[in-house]
Amino acid sequence: MSGSPLLAARGLTWRSGARTLLGPLDLRIEAGECLMVVGPNGAGKTTLLRLLTGLLAPSAGEIRLRGRPFADLPRRERARHLAYVPQVRPSAVPLTVFEVVLLGRYPHLGPLQLAPRAEDFRAVEEALSVVGIGDLRDRPVDELSGGERQAVYIAAALAQETEMLLLDEPTTHLDARHQREVAALLLKLKAESGRTVVAATHDLNLASLLGDRLLALACGRVLAQGSPAEILRPEVLAELFGTRFAVVRGGERPVTLLELSP
Amino acid sequence: MTRPHPRAALALLGLLWLAVLAGAPLLGSHTALVRELLAGDPTARAIFWQLRLPRVLLALLAGGGLAVSGLSFQTLFRNPLAEPYTLGVASGAALGAVLALRLTEGQLLGFPLLTLLAFAGALAATGLVVGLGTRRRQGDETGTLLLAGIAVSLSCSALILFLQYLSDSTQTFRMVRWMMGGLSVAGYREVLWLLPWVVGGSASLLLLRWDLNLLLTGEELAASRGVDLGRLRLRILLLTSVMIAALVAMAGPIGFVGLMVPHILRRFVGHDHLALTPACLLGGGAFLALCDAGARVVMAPAELPVGVVTALLGGPFFLWLLLLRKPR
Repeated sequence: MSGSPLLAARGLTWRSGARTLLGPLDLRIEAGECLMVVGPNGAGKTTLLRLLTGLLAPSAGEIRLRGRPFADLPRRERARHLAYVPQVRPSAVPLTVFEVVLLGRYPHLGPLQLAPRAEDFRAVEEALSVVGIGDLRDRPVDELSGGERQAVYIAAALAQETEMLLLDEPTTHLDARHQREVAALLLKLKAESGRTVVAATHDLNLASLLGDRLLALACGRVLAQGSPAEILRPEVLAELFGTRFAVVRGGERPVTLLELSP
Repeated sequence: MTRPHPRAALALLGLLWLAVLAGAPLLGSHTALVRELLAGDPTARAIFWQLRLPRVLLALLAGGGLAVSGLSFQTLFRNPLAEPYTLGVASGAALGAVLALRLTEGQLLGFPLLTLLAFAGALAATGLVVGLGTRRRQGDETGTLLLAGIAVSLSCSALILFLQYLSDSTQTFRMVRWMMGGLSVAGYREVLWLLPWVVGGSASLLLLRWDLNLLLTGEELAASRGVDLGRLRLRILLLTSVMIAALVAMAGPIGFVGLMVPHILRRFVGHDHLALTPACLLGGGAFLALCDAGARVVMAPAELPVGVVTALLGGPFFLWLLLLRKPR
């Protein structure tokens, strides 16, 4: 693992007033890997993702994309390398699925360009078919189920045609079946599209299933990082979340269970 | 509910717009106009070309500008109740107009002082609101803007009441009459004055199609795709406010068009601003021109202020909207 990584952060820090909420932390993300950020509420997972997307400017430290400092990249160009799927979105989005996915092309459009080009339509069609929501294309997004809606935003991020995909809590607020569908979709993307994926999640089993590497964040600091087997151990999880877990093997990867009994 | 058909709806709106342009000048207190026009009567021709046609053109432009502004404010603030006057443009203009009526009558650069002061007042109020609302760079910026708009509106209203208190009854009557909104002043000069603001503003907003659509999916997502939210907000506010200032200065604060027309059109045109912006320009214009024709006809030979007609339609419309709303 030598040479310039896709994304590298050094001394990355986020402060709010006098309080340091994240960092300083160093991070390397190699092209093609899948990094899952896990940790309790308030650990700084979303902040880290927003910093890596460029939505927040770090209080200290810097991020480099293939060796180029983030601060030197115009917003649109950054958006041609990184696509973000935020967790919080407006509940009523009246646009159709097709219109929302087409908006993923925004960073590729010229400032005076009113109509999309053929390559924009191609990218949208491809994204719709990879995600498998072609039949929903004319439905308004606010008529869809939570899982379908998540799939639409993932498709929009794919249409953005970036090397890297950042997802914030992709399965939170979904029931078991929709969690499974989104997880299957992300697994398929990882296997087929070769995109680099960074996701923050509460869902340790999703992290185990998808992650090449897990980053355990607690109180804004990196507690541990390593393979799922290295991180998803009862003693690490107990320290991370302050509660007891049982870990069983599910095929090749560890499956965690929260122990609720006193 | 049926799905929107943007193309068909736009084509129909275009036809409606042309029909109104051709038909509305024939309506009014002088009813026998068609026959006299065909007979080549010079009075009828003068009424048609010099009075009615510029007035209909002004209504088409003003209504279109109001609807397009309402649309972009509703998208920007993600609030269905936002309208062109949300940020206090109307009260600023009214303050300017009332001041002009209190002070003096006169002309400057060929325009009545009233128009110019109303325009200046509208711009000043918006400038103040935008300046106040965007001072704090963090937190809920749109919320701050709305509150600043309400604060400036209330202050302007208080000053208007104060000026009215100081005025005699003739002046007060003219002030109240101005605030009802009306298109009766129209000549071609007014049309030419309004044309660049409305067409330029609408075209610029149309070019922001993607940005406005992105705002519908949330500010976070828009920013992650490369939208500079602060600059976009400022751009929309300025384009819309200048357009509305020019319009209010000419026709007074005509209410409800900017609120109603976008809501109605969304059902038929959908939510993509590419189709919705021109639809609002056409539909808002046709709507206001029809309201104005109605205002000329219902109490003929007397004329109702068009603002009264739109407001009378606006109240029931909102009840209807409320009752029709799909339960969620």
